[in-house]
Amino acid sequence: MRVSTQNVFERGLSTLQKRQIELMNMQEQLTSGKRVARGSDDPAAAARAERALATQMRSASDQRALEASRNAMTQAESALGDAEELLQQAREHMVAAGDATYSDAERKSLAVAIRGLRTQLLGVANRGDGAGNYLFGGQGAQQTPFLDATGGVQFRGTAGESQAAMQEAMPLALDGRSSWLQAVNPSTGQPDLSVFDVLDRVANELDTPGRSADEISQSVKDGLRDIDAVAGNLRSHRARVGELLNRGDAVEVRLSQQALSAQTERSAAEDLDMVQAVSSFQSKQTGYDAAMQTYAMVQRMSLFDYIKG
Amino acid sequence: MGASPLMTLGMRAMAANYAALQVTGHNIANAGVIGYSRQRVELATAQGQFSGAGYFGKGSDVETVTRSHNAFLTREALATASLANMDDARLAQLQQLETVFQTGEQGVGYSALQFLNAMSDLASRPGDTASRQVVLARAQEMAARFADAGGRIDTMQGLLREDLKTTVASVNELTKNIANVNQQIAAVRGLGQPPNDLLDQRDQLLADLSEHISITTVAADDGTLGVFAGGGQRLVLGNQAQPLAVVDSPGDPSRAAIAIMDNGKPLRLDETAVGGGRIAGLLKFQNHDLVDAQLLLGQMAAAVAGAVNAQQRLGVNLYEPAGSVPSKDVFSIGAPRALPLSANAKDASGRFLSEVTLTTVHPAELQASEYEMAADPSGTPGLWQVTRLSDGLVRSVPSGGEVDGFRIDIGNPAPSPGDKFLLQPVNRAGAQLRTLLRDPRDVAAASPLTGTVGASNTGSAAIASLTITSNTVDPQNTASITFTNDSGAYAWELRDRDTNALVASGTGTWVPGKPLPSDPDPQINGFELQLSGVPQAGDTLTVERTTNPASNNGNALALAALRDQRLVGLTRQADGSLTGGATSTDAYAAAMADIGVRVQGAQAINNISTAMAVGAEQRRSSDAGVNLDEEAAKLIEYQQSYQAAAKVLQVAQSIFETLLQTAAG
Repeated sequence: MRVSTQNVFERGLSTLQKRQIELMNMQEQLTSGKRVARGSDDPAAAARAERALATQMRSASDQRALEASRNAMTQAESALGDAEELLQQAREHMVAAGDATYSDAERKSLAVAIRGLRTQLLGVANRGDGAGNYLFGGQGAQQTPFLDATGGVQFRGTAGESQAAMQEAMPLALDGRSSWLQAVNPSTGQPDLSVFDVLDRVANELDTPGRSADEISQSVKDGLRDIDAVAGNLRSHRARVGELLNRGDAVEVRLSQQALSAQTERSAAEDLDMVQAVSSFQSKQTGYDAAMQTYAMVQRMSLFDYIKG
Repeated sequence: MGASPLMTLGMRAMAANYAALQVTGHNIANAGVIGYSRQRVELATAQGQFSGAGYFGKGSDVETVTRSHNAFLTREALATASLANMDDARLAQLQQLETVFQTGEQGVGYSALQFLNAMSDLASRPGDTASRQVVLARAQEMAARFADAGGRIDTMQGLLREDLKTTVASVNELTKNIANVNQQIAAVRGLGQPPNDLLDQRDQLLADLSEHISITTVAADDGTLGVFAGGGQRLVLGNQAQPLAVVDSPGDPSRAAIAIMDNGKPLRLDETAVGGGRIAGLLKFQNHDLVDAQLLLGQMAAAVAGAVNAQQRLGVNLYEPAGSVPSKDVFSIGAPRALPLSANAKDASGRFLSEVTLTTVHPAELQASEYEMAADPSGTPGLWQVTRLSDGLVRSVPSGGEVDGFRIDIGNPAPSPGDKFLLQPVNRAGAQLRTLLRDPRDVAAASPLTGTVGASNTGSAAIASLTITSNTVDPQNTASITFTNDSGAYAWELRDRDTNALVASGTGTWVPGKPLPSDPDPQINGFELQLSGVPQAGDTLTVERTTNPASNNGNALALAALRDQRLVGLTRQADGSLTGGATSTDAYAAAMADIGVRVQGAQAINNISTAMAVGAEQRRSSDAGVNLDEEAAKLIEYQQSYQAAAKVLQVAQSIFETLLQTAAG
């Protein structure tokens, strides 16, 4: 078989070019650290990486939603703690009012103190979360959810809880109606005892002058019973918030694990194995070097060199 | 016997070897010329002179100069070069197309997910203007990425047409030149010797031509060559060339097609008729890959934006008072269209007589395909046959009928029996995606209804979620649901919230794990409740107007939930249920992988066809090409022969001189 000189040149050259392109591609991968820069590099891996990226973004989004809920719940927890403390103070005033030696004037001053506590409690119940929502606004409230109206404090929010956008139920606001206005009434058994009504009632009782020791003792007894009932209701809500915060911690662990495994998955799908890549690059380089040397040697040989002038 | 025959013989030998040296020199000179076939002097022994003592040789004659040419190998080289060029053209286009489907953070899928993630952030702060601004910005970004990707596909289509025009122009130039060379070859045919260099020139023109279009050749008796396109259409016959032209595709005029000019009238060539070469590669890419990319992108845009729009319309925006400004769509989506085929019936002024309109009804059921619509072959009036081009599925629909999520309305007058339409439900959806929202208040984050449980309920039931399922919801009506036993039976009433007039009432049974109400119980007011816990007899639920949309996140939650919904490419089964489909993330990953696989496949095919073309060219050139070492050897050979012939002449002369001296002496 014979060969055409021109064809030998062309083929040698195109093989060299092919090797050069391979080296260039390899170099591109080494520079970017990515094995998959476009879909065609490995379509299955590219799709895998795409899904992993979506999971990563989703975890980050869920973490933000969780953070919003935890922020609100932490504040709600501390608000309920404050409320408990204020009720404890009211209870102490009540206990003091039971002292039979107290005059009407002294009881009156205790009533003033209790009214002060009630005002503080209303402030606690109307606390915001700093992000435009009310801690006890339930499913939404336009203005402060609790309004001092004739006939007692009214709930103007929407009962229920609003949820953050994630799979686990994580509330953004608590149902103020059930925590503040719906303690179980010890005398009727109905869930209709309001924190504010209880304090209003006991303050009014203490305010009433000229009562007998028995009457006073009875109203203190009733007052303490009711205060304990509403405080107990707040405490049980506080325990639930504590539970939600615990759940939030567990969810956070799950979300960060999810993010991490998605990141690992993405990296496994599209990142370059550096050791393998460097060794492969070196072997390609050696091959290219050898190809260039032999090409130059073969192309130099010609019969014309041996024809003596 | 004298000395002169020897002299003549020597001179003849010198002339023959000189001719051989000349041809060798020609070979060496043309060693690097593309398309040159090496030439050879054919020497023949001159017939001997008869004498009484037998025949005396008279040396050798130069008979002719031939070129090394193997018709079979040449044809093989042309055919494989056609294929290699076709695959190469398609690969180059596909590689460019792939950049439209970027991976990771640069991708279209990323922006869609970012937009829905912004809805999740908005759910945490439904009244917050900053969060609403982020939603608007992300919606803009998503629309921009879709429009950019669609725009790049359109640009590629435009450039492809220009590319085809340039290629067709060089094809026309080449066929004209072949016709000219044909004429020259026919003219010198009478001389009886092969015009080697003209033949080489023609072969090279054919090689150039076959890079653009697949050809077959038929030799005529007069030495000319007839050239035909892959499908048998005549390109060159004798000294006549038929030009090609770029024309509009019969269905979609934005696509290009190739036609052959027959007496000034363009005759459209089928993609398969072009066979191979660059033109076939470009057409194949245009008609399959580019269209599919456009469809995949459009399907995803129409489905995701359609789902977002539908959900947004169910929600309540932030304008005061609540509900005073109806919720606007988030996106405007490129409309579906039905293109009449160019051969359809027209009126006197050239306008098409009948029109067909398409309307998207269920964006989630749209498929990444185009459709062809023609009169029903059974001849049933009012019935139309719709063929899905991606898989050939044929369905018959009446006017107003629905196919794959879109409705077909036949205009008046009805199409003529021979009329056909190309239906494109999603082609423009991606490229023409725009956002319509400008004001942060436009985002409908709130649900129109809020559900609450009765204050004195004894059961543990709570409302886990409230979903608006239909836009028939009327917030003016308040629904009261009362459980009548402990196992979920309930009675409901729907009353006007202002007048307390009874609008509707009914009963149903709640089944744990299912929404309330669920089939077969009647709808109450276009909502569905998911309950957690268990209700007891006497427990009540109330679903009424959301009084404070600024702090309600019901619809933002529903929008964020689209992230997990299969909303692209669902299939409606015969029983009405929906199957299959993909989430927006999966749909994009699949589209990207689809294009990636095509590039990979095209790369593999291109490697094979290039290797075949290289091999064929090597075989052709091993026969026809010049080997310089061989020519060097021939140079020595003919030089020595020439020297030997010169020696003969010298001997003849010295004999003659000897004779003269003897005669003189």
